[in-house]
Formats: sequence, structure tokens, C-alpha cells
Amino acid sequence: MRIVGAIAGVELRRFMRDRSNIFFTFVFPLLLVVVIGVQFGGGASNGRVLLTETESTLGQDLEAALTAADVTVDPSGAEEAGEALARGRADVAIVISADDVAAYEGGDPVQVEVIQASTNGAQTAAQRVQTALNELAATRAQVASLEDAGAAPETAEQALETAESTVPSLQVEVEDTSGISQAFAGATGFDVGAASQVLLFVFMAALAGSGTLIEARRGGVIARTLAAPVGTGSVVAGQALGRWTIAAFQGAYVMAGTSLLFGVTWGSLPVALTVVAVFAVVAAGFAMVIGSLLDNEGAASGLGVGVSLVLAALGGCMFPQELFPDALRTVSSFTPHGWGYRAFAEVQRHDAGLVEILPYLGVLAGFAAGALLLGSLLLRRSLSRAI
Amino acid sequence: MVVKDLKQRLRDKSVLIFSLAVPLALMSVLNLVIPTGADDIELEPVSMAVSVDPDDELAGVVVSSLTGLSAFQVSATDSEDPRAAVDAGEADVGLIIPPGLTEDLRSGTGHSVRMVTGDGAGLSTNVLIAITDGLLGELRARSVTAAAAVEAGLGPEIAGELAQNELDAAGAITAQPGQASDQQLSAGGALIAGQAGLFLMFTVGFGVLSMVAERENGTLARLRSMPIPPGSIVIAKALASFVLGVLATAVLLTAGSLLFGVSFGAAGAVAVLVCCAVAAATSLTFIVVRLARTAEQANIVQTILALVLGMSGGAFFPIAASGAAGAVLDANPIAAFTRGLGITAGGGELADLTVPVLTLLAFAAVCLLASRLIPDRGASR
Repeated sequence: MRIVGAIAGVELRRFMRDRSNIFFTFVFPLLLVVVIGVQFGGGASNGRVLLTETESTLGQDLEAALTAADVTVDPSGAEEAGEALARGRADVAIVISADDVAAYEGGDPVQVEVIQASTNGAQTAAQRVQTALNELAATRAQVASLEDAGAAPETAEQALETAESTVPSLQVEVEDTSGISQAFAGATGFDVGAASQVLLFVFMAALAGSGTLIEARRGGVIARTLAAPVGTGSVVAGQALGRWTIAAFQGAYVMAGTSLLFGVTWGSLPVALTVVAVFAVVAAGFAMVIGSLLDNEGAASGLGVGVSLVLAALGGCMFPQELFPDALRTVSSFTPHGWGYRAFAEVQRHDAGLVEILPYLGVLAGFAAGALLLGSLLLRRSLSRAI
Repeated sequence: MVVKDLKQRLRDKSVLIFSLAVPLALMSVLNLVIPTGADDIELEPVSMAVSVDPDDELAGVVVSSLTGLSAFQVSATDSEDPRAAVDAGEADVGLIIPPGLTEDLRSGTGHSVRMVTGDGAGLSTNVLIAITDGLLGELRARSVTAAAAVEAGLGPEIAGELAQNELDAAGAITAQPGQASDQQLSAGGALIAGQAGLFLMFTVGFGVLSMVAERENGTLARLRSMPIPPGSIVIAKALASFVLGVLATAVLLTAGSLLFGVSFGAAGAVAVLVCCAVAAATSLTFIVVRLARTAEQANIVQTILALVLGMSGGAFFPIAASGAAGAVLDANPIAAFTRGLGITAGGGELADLTVPVLTLLAFAAVCLLASRLIPDRGASR
């Protein structure tokens, strides 16, 4: 263990000696903090709806009903709305024509045009729009039935307003099986997006370490170290520990930054940080495998990027695991990203503590042990190759 | 120099890895992951464990409305304890309506309706919750009407009658599905375009890495001592990156359109778009090469830039933005590339690509200018 620590120490000192590395490692990821923070921070919304008409009563009533349901509403021209949907900048557009406005004012049936984007949230947002339309229709029907029963129009509207504020609201309370009740807005099922991006980033950042191992092999540093009474396992573990420190710190830094600056929710932050720390061990192990397998930094970087993206896609970091077919969900169990994703889902959606996610961490530790073992075997074999 | 670089990369297999192996692997995986050819994500059937009072009229209305949905199938089974059923994985969602919903609604008293979600909570469950919310809103509207009747002085009999009546939907407000823009890429198409853009950021970075490696190995100084124009070394590296970028993107888009059945439209227009996107991405590497002193730093910068541009360009999920934020995102080369592919997929020609092409070229120009102004930190090594 002392040897492993010494090798990791050398690796880190070498990294820190170049002051500019500190800038690249800790200041540059602020960009990532901002992007993740802007996207996932500030509370979830129930979708983004574009409204082509916000001046008339219909437009204003619809906007009020949608806003009350936590839907983000933006005014937009009809043509711009089509373009925004095409680019996935909004989930749903509601096109209101002059005829619609006139029909609404006159109490006649109204049929507004609703266009859906091909985004993940479009169907839920469209349902929210339908609900808002039903609410408006209900209000009109309420006024009509009160007038039919003999109330004067103004009295009917005023009485409705009063009744609206006195009758208790009736809404679905969404509850998780872990017994934690939560607001619907938080139960969107896609709130692991930020975690997915952090997993992808940490894995990629750690794989960049394969280049330093290749460099150390080419410079004869590894051969020189092994001439001392040190095993390849210790060398790989030491190198990996050095890379792990950097990658885990970067991941923690991005998470803490998004949480503090933008209010991105990670569940229990210490538990979430533990997931990232264990996941980074797997990533560092993979970096050692690639660094022992290939003899060229360019090829290693290419393979690193490829492996990171492919594993991330299979693990549900690009397209939510919940929407995978069953067979593919099984495949995702063979990727570290798949288990990292599940661990995060438990922590973020079910407020799981360390004990609840131990099985996931155990699987990740198994991945890490396998990768480090394979790395040390490959490193031993690489010594007999010219580089 | 370009030929030498590409030959060298062929020898060390990085060209093959970058331009063929990884893009094909990535596309195959995305093909597995994303529902192929489906513009809409299929809503899965939902099994619901229900605990309601069989004598409660309105609770029965809620259950039968949910099981009668046309959008997706909902099956309801009675359960003593829906929470346990969801927990055990026997049901996707639980619905608990304590006895007395009808009575409470009539008297305007509060009542709680719970839905229990578990690990199987997916898109269908979200939509189901939204629908249930809407149903309850309609039911509550009746008791509001009754309360308003009392408020308006119409008397309790009339109020009771109004509470019983379903609201007259003669003046209903309905939604009619509109025609989506023909420039709207399907979910699969948008992901292919976004991933191609993201991957491009990494592919062109390879030129930077070889430049930094030459600097570290001392061969760059030797090259500079030769009687060749100093700019030609950088241009050669950029050109090698450019060739690789075009190759990799072409492979990705071709494989993507074959696997997903997505057509990106006229080949000529797409080719122009790809060349502009690669030029924009390559120009960014000029900045990296001046910022980074070592290959390790270049790697870190490249990864972060690629991920930031990829994320904000919609490589993983569309970014909802408008106003100033939307304008900033519009300048993103990956977003412009995806936008351009949407236009060509909708039958657009070269003339329709003015905005994305100009965006990409402007991005390239700004990056080139910035790279001239940034001090070359690597030169001091």
C-alpha cells in the first residue's frame, strides 16, 4: 500500500507541478457547471409551451391555467413556434386563430391547434395543455349552469371566484415506494439527466489518464519502477490512484458547483459524491487497461472517447434507461454507467442513503477490481513489446 | 505533411478507430437504445394496483376513465395494499382513493388521492398522473359550482343538483393536432445529428494532440527550422483533422440514416453542411493548441469543450431555451449543424441553408481570430 501511495504521489506531484494543470482541471470545468446548472437547476418545470396569442382573453386564461400547472409558457409567433419545435426548443405549441378568440368570447365551441415536438417531455406537456383546456371549458360550463339556474352573469362569476378559493384543491399526491411524498413536478422520472452528464464527464476525464501511462512506458519509467521490488499490480494501482484523485475531484467539483450555484438537486450530496467516487475508480481502472493495451496516445484518446460514449449510451446516459426495451436493460447491467445511473436514480428519486445503494456500489467495486486486474496483466505483457 | 500524418495515424490505427470503429459502434448502440423509426416514443402499457371503495361512485368514475384511455393501455387490479404491489414490482403504479370521495366533493371538503410510483415509473406513468390530475380537476369543478350556487344565493337544493350534474360540455374547448414543421427531425434523427456533432468535436481534436505531441517530442522545433512557411505546419495539422472529421461524420450520418431509416435529404446540401461544421470544429482546435502546453491539458480542454458544446447543442437532449439564452445557443456549431440537417431532411436545398452555414462559418472565423490573439503558451516550452 505504501508503494501504491508513493507512485500515486509522484503522479499527482508531476501533475500539480505544472500550475496551468490546476487551471484546466478546476477552473475549466466551471463551463460544465454552468451548462448543467442552467439545464437542470432551478426546479423542474412540467414542460415548455409556446403560445401564439397572449393578448386576448383566451390567450390570457390559457396562460394562467398552464402557469398554475408549473408549465413554462412563452409567447411566440406561429412560424417561430414551428421552428422552435423543430429544434426541440419547446415541447408543445398552441396556435390560436382569430376565429378561436371570437368563439371563446362568444361562448361557442373552440378548437385550438396543438403541435407536439419530438422531445421526451412533449407527451406529458401535451397532456398538461389538454388539462388546461378542460379547465377553461369547465369554468365556462360552470358559469353557464349557474346562469341557467337563475344567477345574474356578474354574480355567477364572482360567486365562482369565491368558491374557487374556498373549496379545497384536489390534486394527485405522488408518492414514492420508499414512502417519501413529493410534488409532481419533482417526479418527472428524467431528473437523473444531470447525473448522466457527470458520469459521462468523469469517465472521459479519467480515461485521459491512459496517455500518461503510455508516456511513462515510453520514457522507461514503468520498466525502471518494476526493476525495484514492485509488482505490476502496485504500479497499476498507484497510477490509477493518481488518476482517480483528479477525476473524482473534478466530478465532485462539478456536482458541488451545480448544487450550490444553481440548486441542482442530487438527493443527499454526500451519498451522491460517494457514487461518483466509486464510479471514478472504475474509470481509472479502464484508463489503465487502455494505457497498457495501446502504444500510441492518439489511438488511446480515440478509443477512450469511443468507449466512454458507447458505454454511456448503453448505460442510459444518453437516452433514459426507463425507456429501454427489457433485453437492453439487461445489457446495461454489464456497463458501469448502467449501475452508476441506477445508483443515482435511487439517491435522487428515492432519497436513498448509503445502505440502500450498497449493492450498486458493490457491483461498481467489482468492475473496478476487474479493470485493475486486467490492467496489471496487460501492463506485464506490454513490457515485452517495443514502444 | 498531411499525407505523412494520415499515414502515421493509419499505422497507429487512430484513423481507423476515430473514423470507422467508434462511429459505427456508437451508431449501432444508439440504434439499439432508441426506438427505431418511431417519431413518437411508444407509450408502454401500465398496470395499476387500485385501492378504492367499490361503493364510492366518483372513485369508480376515476378508475374507469383511466382504464378507458385510448393513448395507451391501463389495466387495473384491486389491491389491499397498492404500495406493496408497486414495491414488489407487481404493478407499475398504485392508485389509492380513501373512502368518501363522492361525499367530500359534494360537501366541498378536502380529500386526498394518492398515486404510488416505483422503479417502473416511466413516461406512461407521468402521462397517467397528468391525466388523473385533470380528472380530479373536473370532479372538483362540480363542487366548486355547487359552492358558487350557494354563494350566489340560489339555495341548497339547486346547489345539490348542480353538484350531481356533469358539466355541460357544449362550449367545450378541444385540441386539434397540428401539422409539425417538415424541418422537425424525429427524436432518433435529432440524436444522430447531435451525436455526430459531439463526436466531431473529439475527432478534430486529434490534430491538436498530434501537434502538441510533436512539440513535446521536439520534432516541431525541427520542422520549424526547415525552409517552409511557418503557417504551413499548423495548416497541415488542421487539414489532417479536417479530412478525418469529414470522413467520420460521413460514416456516422450514413450509418445513422441506414440504421434508423432517417433521410437527411439532398446529399450535396448535407455535404456542404458537414464541411462547414468540420471547419467550425477544426477552428476551435486552433484555440486549444495555443492554450494547452501538454497533451494532457489538450485532452482535458478538448473533453470539456466538446461536452459543453455537445450538451448545449442538444447532443443528449433538446435544450429548451428562448430569448437571450436561445440566441447564445444558436451560435453553437452543433446546434447549427443539427438545425441544418433538419432543414435538409425537410427537403431544403443549399439555398435554404444560409442561416446554419453562415453561423458555422462565422463561428470558424471568430475562433480563428481568437486563436491569433491568444498568446501561444506552448511556444515557451
